[in-house]
Amino acid sequence: MTDGDGHHDDHGHGHIQLEYQPALPLNNGKLCMWLFLSTEIMFFAALIGTYIVIRFGAPSWPTPQEMHLSEPVGAFNTFVLICSSVTVVLALEAAKMGHASRARMFIIVTFLLGSLFLGVKAYEYRSKFSHGIYPQLPRSLMYEKPDVYYAAAVHKSLQTAQEELTSQVQALEADGQEVPANMQQRLSTVTALTTGLARWTEEEAAFGNTEAIVQLASIVNPVHGQGPQETPLRAEKEAMETRQKDLEAQQKELLAEQTALQQKVADETATEEDATRLQKVAAELLVIPEQISLASSRVKALDFLLNPGASGELMGLNERFSKDEKTGEKLARPWLILPIMIPGANMWAATYFLMTGFHAVHVLVGLIIFAVAIPMTLDKTRANFLENSGLYWHFVDLVWIFLFPLLYLF
Amino acid sequence: MSENSSNHESDPQGHDSHEHEHHGGLVTYLVVFGGLIVLTILSFWIGNSDLKNQSPVAAWAGMMAVSCGKAMLVILFFMHLKWEANWKYVLTIPAMMMSIFLVLMLVPDVGMRTLWYSEERIIHAAESALHPEGHGGEHSEDHDHSEDTAH
Repeated sequence: MTDGDGHHDDHGHGHIQLEYQPALPLNNGKLCMWLFLSTEIMFFAALIGTYIVIRFGAPSWPTPQEMHLSEPVGAFNTFVLICSSVTVVLALEAAKMGHASRARMFIIVTFLLGSLFLGVKAYEYRSKFSHGIYPQLPRSLMYEKPDVYYAAAVHKSLQTAQEELTSQVQALEADGQEVPANMQQRLSTVTALTTGLARWTEEEAAFGNTEAIVQLASIVNPVHGQGPQETPLRAEKEAMETRQKDLEAQQKELLAEQTALQQKVADETATEEDATRLQKVAAELLVIPEQISLASSRVKALDFLLNPGASGELMGLNERFSKDEKTGEKLARPWLILPIMIPGANMWAATYFLMTGFHAVHVLVGLIIFAVAIPMTLDKTRANFLENSGLYWHFVDLVWIFLFPLLYLF
Repeated sequence: MSENSSNHESDPQGHDSHEHEHHGGLVTYLVVFGGLIVLTILSFWIGNSDLKNQSPVAAWAGMMAVSCGKAMLVILFFMHLKWEANWKYVLTIPAMMMSIFLVLMLVPDVGMRTLWYSEERIIHAAESALHPEGHGGEHSEDHDHSEDTAH
């Protein structure tokens, strides 16, 4: 920086010799990069620190498995970033030694590895979105508590799906086309679940049985790893079948009584007592069919729930809807995703998307820098540029080193 | 003149570090790369081991320690801070202290907020009806973790 030697020639002017030295023994570009990185340290420390404080201060926090976060995929991405850190440092070494083409090759590899990282990230984001994992309601399908709002949300999505399927079936029938068997099956499933699962749960909750909503939540999606339980569901199904039979028998008796009473009225032998009885019977006959239909749709819904999946075990509804009915293969687009109950999940999603999103933006900026570097002749004159972009890239890697265990392994 | 040359000598790292060519090298970088891979596997192993169920706090502390080790490897060797002059302390330590303070300041009002929840607030908190057990034991860990990640 200073070429001080030239100024020390005494020209005889006799004025004071001033010495100019750089404040810090590094070039301006590197100084700026390090100043920038020190602000970046604080920026990411704020994000990560806030996450830690929120996570450990939260009454409940979902596990990575519940949020469909795959540990091996995260570990693979860590590996990719570490590799790219090595290639960028090797590019700098090559540039310092004047091997421009080798430096370019390493930068191209770095660029590809960075793109691979972003690609994997995009794949992970897509799997979040397809499961309804967004930071906030109503876009997000995650509910914090098994309460009436949750039950109502499940009811509403089932109803919407039912209406959509019905209109599709009607459109096909109007065209005179044959309705596919799996569409018919889906419609009957959704119809049974709308009444026999969602409405049933709401009525149970309305009469004080809030456990029914917890059960609904675990039927839709495993809660703390606990999906639908076979024994209680089977017991309930048997009880429901008995109840349905009882109701039908009662209905028959009432109908017989009604006919007898009406006969009496027609014969004009009816007393006043008979008349009030007739009114009561008619009122009960109005209610009973609805009770029977609710019980029978409950039985239908339980039948569907008790039907084991391809693995021979009972599955959560969401998992079941995202698999092909016949082959059991996972569908790219699930035909129905119901709201899920995971306490703390919305806060999880907010912190996850904020941290990984900012990190991904930094990766993107790094990729742009490398894209600029690729056409250059990366010889000794570009070593400073490469060193600074390398510093930035290592910092991005550094952030991921902390994000990976915090998000995937904690 | 003499003052100038003595100045120059008293600051050997300054100008010498500019012309250092003996640091780094392929072997160093590959050893660091191997270390990073081993440490990644280690933290993956801790995260999936039984330790996480038995003593989650120990597992978290272990994983954060491994992360700090990895961060030091990257900072010292890939970012060449091992071979830099003393300015490295000026630029990195204040930033890290600010980060640590920022996190510590969040602990009382955000990290410990559930300790002061009113009964009504608890009722509306995002807690599963299936697992009503408290998480009080975790609050004391905030300090350790916040310091670990402030790099």
